Amino acid sequence: MVLARVKGTVVSTHKSPLLQGLKLLLLEKIDPVTLKGKGDFAVAIDSVGANAGEIVFYVTGSSARMTDATKGKPSDATIIAIVDAIEKDGAFTYQKAEGE
Amino acid sequence: MNLARVRGTVVATRRSDKIEGARWLLVEDCDQAGAGRNEFLVALDMVGADRGQLVLLAQGSSCRWTLRTDDRPMDTLVIAIVDQIDQAGTVTWQAAGPG
Repeated sequence: MVLARVKGTVVSTHKSPLLQGLKLLLLEKIDPVTLKGKGDFAVAIDSVGANAGEIVFYVTGSSARMTDATKGKPSDATIIAIVDAIEKDGAFTYQKAEGE
Repeated sequence: MNLARVRGTVVATRRSDKIEGARWLLVEDCDQAGAGRNEFLVALDMVGADRGQLVLLAQGSSCRWTLRTDDRPMDTLVIAIVDQIDQAGTVTWQAAGPG
């Protein structure tokens, strides 16, 4: 699973009918230590209700079809979790603020 | 399978994977001697790996071929803890002994 920050949304009106009602989010892959963006962007389907600014991780390939939201849908990247905290070598590099 | 070092943990409560008791590890891609490449992934721990250990990752659809991950949205698993690596007669990695 890849760590990324939600940077925005992607809108498409002309798409596979199977994708109707699914939210497409613009993600930027991040370094989990510095939390800085790598300038490497991806688009993923949201299955958890992620918002702009949140750190998430997503699955790619056939595993992206295994959530309730994407079963049988043509997705190859699906966000499966919103990250609360990242710990490296015993210290937190990221902790989500209360009520965020 | 790729080699990686366990560097830490990732906590997430809002999830859609439906895997009970999941433990997420922050792992760093590394070479056959355990040196990190500064590329990190989140992996589901299947074996109780600890920080610093060299582990084997299964990636892609093969990750779903376990009882816990069958039909789950999972693409990176820690499936083994490496004890030793021998490269042409030279030990490049030796895990710390028990206790």
